[in-house]
Amino acid sequence: MVTFIIRRLFATVFLLIVVSMITFAIFFLIPKLAGQTSYQLAIQYVGRNPTRAAVLEIEDKLGLNAPIYLQYGRFLKAIVLGTHYNSGTSTTYCPPPCFGYSFKSQQPVWPQMVSDLPVTLSLAIGAAVIWLVGGVTIGIISALKRGTLFDRLSMGLALVGVSLPIFFTGLIALELFSYKWPIFPNVQYVSLTTNPLLWARNLILPWFVLALLYAALYARLTRAGMLETMSEDFIRTARAKGLQERTVIFKHGLRATLTPIITIFGMDLGLLLGGAIITEVTFSLHGLGLFTVEAVQNQDLPEILGVTMLAAFFIVIANLVVDILYAVVDPRVRH
Amino acid sequence: MAAPLDVAPSGGEVAPEAALAGVSGKAIEGRSLGQIAWMRLRRDKIAMAGGAVVVFLILVAIFGPLLVQNPNIYHANLINPTFSRPNGPFGGISLAHPFGVEPVTGRDVLSRVVNGARVSLLIAFLATALAVGIGVVMGVIAGYFGGWVDAVIARAMDVFLAFPLLVFAIALVGVIPSSAFGLSGNSLRIGLLVFVIGFFAWPYMGRIIRGQTLSLREREFVDAARSIGARGPYILFRELLPNLVGPILVYSTLLIPTNILFEAALSYLGVGIIPPQPSWGGMLSDAVSNGYYSIDPMYMIIPGVAIFITVMAFNLFGDGLRDALDPRSIR
Amino acid sequence: MRRPRTIGLAAVGAVAALVAAACGGSSGGGTSGSSSSSASAFNAAVTHVVNPSTHKGGTIIFDNSTAPDSTDAGNTYYAFNLNFVMLYALPLTTYKSCPGTTCGNTIVPGLATTLGVGSDGNKTWTYHLKSGVKFEDGTPVTSQDVKYAVERTFDRGVLANGPSYFASLLAGNAASYKGPFKNRSKNLMALNSVDTPNSSTIVFHLNQPFADFNYVVAFPQTAPVPPNKDTGANYQNHPISTGPYKFQSYQLNKQYTLVPNPQWKPSWNPQVKQLASKIIVNLNVNANDIDNRLLAGDIQVDQAGTGVQAPARAKILSTPSLKADSDAPINAHEWFYYINTKVPPLNNLHCRMAVEYAYNKTNMQTAYGGPIAGGDIATTAMLPNILGFQKFDLYHALTKPSGDVAAAKQQLQECGHPNGFSTNIAYRSDRPREVASSQALQASLASVGIKTTLKGYTAANYYGTFAGVPTYVHSHDLGLLAGGWGPDWPNAYGWGWALYDAKAIVSAGNANISELNDANINKWFLAMEQTTSKSQSNAYANMINRQVMKDAAILPAVYAKALLYRPPGLTNVYVQPFYGMYNYGVLGTK
Repeated sequence: MVTFIIRRLFATVFLLIVVSMITFAIFFLIPKLAGQTSYQLAIQYVGRNPTRAAVLEIEDKLGLNAPIYLQYGRFLKAIVLGTHYNSGTSTTYCPPPCFGYSFKSQQPVWPQMVSDLPVTLSLAIGAAVIWLVGGVTIGIISALKRGTLFDRLSMGLALVGVSLPIFFTGLIALELFSYKWPIFPNVQYVSLTTNPLLWARNLILPWFVLALLYAALYARLTRAGMLETMSEDFIRTARAKGLQERTVIFKHGLRATLTPIITIFGMDLGLLLGGAIITEVTFSLHGLGLFTVEAVQNQDLPEILGVTMLAAFFIVIANLVVDILYAVVDPRVRH
Repeated sequence: MAAPLDVAPSGGEVAPEAALAGVSGKAIEGRSLGQIAWMRLRRDKIAMAGGAVVVFLILVAIFGPLLVQNPNIYHANLINPTFSRPNGPFGGISLAHPFGVEPVTGRDVLSRVVNGARVSLLIAFLATALAVGIGVVMGVIAGYFGGWVDAVIARAMDVFLAFPLLVFAIALVGVIPSSAFGLSGNSLRIGLLVFVIGFFAWPYMGRIIRGQTLSLREREFVDAARSIGARGPYILFRELLPNLVGPILVYSTLLIPTNILFEAALSYLGVGIIPPQPSWGGMLSDAVSNGYYSIDPMYMIIPGVAIFITVMAFNLFGDGLRDALDPRSIR
Repeated sequence: MRRPRTIGLAAVGAVAALVAAACGGSSGGGTSGSSSSSASAFNAAVTHVVNPSTHKGGTIIFDNSTAPDSTDAGNTYYAFNLNFVMLYALPLTTYKSCPGTTCGNTIVPGLATTLGVGSDGNKTWTYHLKSGVKFEDGTPVTSQDVKYAVERTFDRGVLANGPSYFASLLAGNAASYKGPFKNRSKNLMALNSVDTPNSSTIVFHLNQPFADFNYVVAFPQTAPVPPNKDTGANYQNHPISTGPYKFQSYQLNKQYTLVPNPQWKPSWNPQVKQLASKIIVNLNVNANDIDNRLLAGDIQVDQAGTGVQAPARAKILSTPSLKADSDAPINAHEWFYYINTKVPPLNNLHCRMAVEYAYNKTNMQTAYGGPIAGGDIATTAMLPNILGFQKFDLYHALTKPSGDVAAAKQQLQECGHPNGFSTNIAYRSDRPREVASSQALQASLASVGIKTTLKGYTAANYYGTFAGVPTYVHSHDLGLLAGGWGPDWPNAYGWGWALYDAKAIVSAGNANISELNDANINKWFLAMEQTTSKSQSNAYANMINRQVMKDAAILPAVYAKALLYRPPGLTNVYVQPFYGMYNYGVLGTK
């Protein structure tokens, strides 16, 4: 087991390096291939309304004229060892992980991401709990009561749920429950430590909008998986052994059904931790997703780079965790 | 975006109907898998309804823009200048403008929706084709050859799946200059969107096809083919591929609505189709960022419902297709 | 050189304006030019002070849908921020705090005892500092602190925003001076065109006559900065205050809080007031949320000051009680299109005039938001609140607001393209108004046969890389380019030099995008640099305005307006004409 974990850890680190290389290449190589000069690239780093002199300064300061592999080396070194930035009268130390310094917002990227992270975490984890419990439960019940009204209704609603675009549901929810009938007025993020009750209350609308899509998906997945599992041979054997139906379902059937669901759940959660972009934009929650969109609107390259790397990191880590869990549950995987 | 594709039951067993057909006394005719699937599909009314809507939408996307008026013509006379909203209820619905007009500009919403359909479906189909193309090739190669080839391809799939797709698409669109690779404007943007959506979605298809190939590879008919001297390419094309058509078809159909939603999301976030070219996501984005949804709700509801119906139809049809191709599933 | 000022768009109506030296309270002397009626009615705050009061206490909350370019007063160019920094910065000169253009556009002394007087043919300007002025920590302000404040703006790597007049006007080593940050021991106080003969006198030596120098030093770049407390790019976290308020806390891009500065004395700057006991600014708040909170009374001001969004507008204009608490002032901004004079066939005057006659003025206005949220149909190149403005209408915008097709066609004949021609329209694709207006322009030009292709660019790069680069404009045939402008100071020079003078054309970040080179206009701007006679200045203003329109170098769209809402609990609310929004330096609460 330990060797398995170590192997997976190595693979994860390798994966992260590859992802960082590809990300870096995409942001610095492709624009060059597309014909952009390093001057134009520098403009995306500088503050608003830059003078030509300012752009040239930045271009020089950031070494944008250096060959790609040197730039990548510097980028990697900053993440691992940190680096220094000149703020005029002094140099500020940017401790590792240093994802760069945004000249437009005049502060390092990492602290901004860290301060936005709790919002995304609150949103993602809260919604994840709701959709996992809700979706899976509905899926299981639908599978067990296949063909009944409950089944048909829930699957119909699930289909509707996966077909509605999230921003549409979000907008309608906002218009109805926040503006028209002020049940949840003033949806603004309040930190958990400041006021837990208000924190939860203001997040209920975004949680349910986000969870709706995934709950629908998971209900469908669980139902399909449950149906398939229940028709497997080993279930027949379990029944033949004379076990109670409840034991058959919950001890044997569920385990087999849930393992692939957990894999997908891990990936989905990992993806969301990098920023539930659409939900955050719709509800104006200042998490990593909104940070990404603002970074792109401001064409702030260091911020875009930083948040992409962070999001990829979450996905890879989530995969790792899921793999290890899978290995714990299913010994066949370890070899 | 969530992983859209459900865990797949595999197909390939002989259906019992063939045996039953002989009871009535006629000569027993073997039916091909395709024919059986089609029969089962025909019986699924809901799936057929979805399919009909899909066909209708495709027709609208192809021929619609020729039949409606120019989506970029202003009708400022239909707008109340103080409030910038259309005169008349429900966003200015009238005979000349069955879906009403846009706030501020007065452009006809019906023609914008129809033209938006063309763009959305075009991007979704092209991106899906790209994803399926790469995914099938990679999946088959990985599944069939196994060994280190499989390991490399599987790792590559891991890398691609590690990319936060939406973040990446947004960021990439922001980084590419407005004219590159010989293209500019919307052709560049469409190319970029197709590339990003398709190129990063191939692992979804790749994984499924790889799984299918792995299980098919162990089947008797492959052994049989090998025993009579058939070699790699022959087995790939004549034995494996025909059996993969089913899952390929099903998952393509289920991938399309995901890509439609994806493109709509990108346009909503402002990195999709460039105005004044209409797009569904763009219309929703417009409705939100200017606050029009509050004073003219129809302007938001219409494109939202259009997306919803399209995605729903593809999902229904895809579900039905999957059930039809899998004889073990009983509805 | 000088960059077009970016005005933060999409903001909620600004709230209360602080008391200006109008009714009651401490006055800066002289007539206020406004009646003391405090009745609240629609547009009341445009002409007089609403709710005048000297009541102290209370909290004022500002919300903003974006963030200032910097809270460092020496590093900002946004209109709302030039307004707001007066709460903690004190430049050499400033504008009189009162409504109405005759009063509010008057320049008055700030840190200086009197307005500067130009000597040596307006090439040397001397200012004497008021005595007893201190920083928030009690250290006395000296002329060296003012010189340092100007010096630090020369390092564009550290302070990238803000106007660049000092770099272009100062003599001596200004052209090669790189600022006091690099090589500090050598470069500190090394700008030799700024003299500080004693601690209360400062002398500026210019490389050309410049009659408007008092306006140049009105920018908060001259607000004193103590050299030993300057932290460069981090100074914005806590600028050392010389105004009625000082920083209590600042979370970058999220929120900052100001509290009263105990050192401050009203005699230092009569144009601002110290009434509220706390000022909180929330940044990057959703624009629609701001409107809702404003109407609900949860916040008091929309800091960006460019008006409410469509839903709030509908609500306010259709509810009489809300309408009485709102104003639609001219926002000190004009939206227009540059008509480039070098890109064929627009290099022919008659082709340009055809465009001027042809476009549908009403549709343009609707595209920018209609008469209340967009603005009044513009017929001139300059804004009405520029000193010396006179109205005229050369292209029948008011008599034929849907365009004068016949006259356009005739002009097309005269320029040799009777069936029209083709060109490109450049605009900022992330500005919804410009998206709409460029489409409106395209549609109306098509009706006379002028075929155009729309080319959108992101706002962040628009001036630096595309529209503001003449070589790019020529190579991409950009004949019509969207633009907007607010004056750096309220006379024709402050408005128009960078837009219409041939000397202002630069290779990147250009603002004279029409590339206008009219000998008369050049001559008149030169004369304005040398004359100190107000009536002469005003005369030139009118002549330049007319000539630009005769040259058809600008296609005016609207004089921008914004619908602002002032919650009833706010006192001393009025529109300061130079900023086009409520004066933030005088606000209080009931």
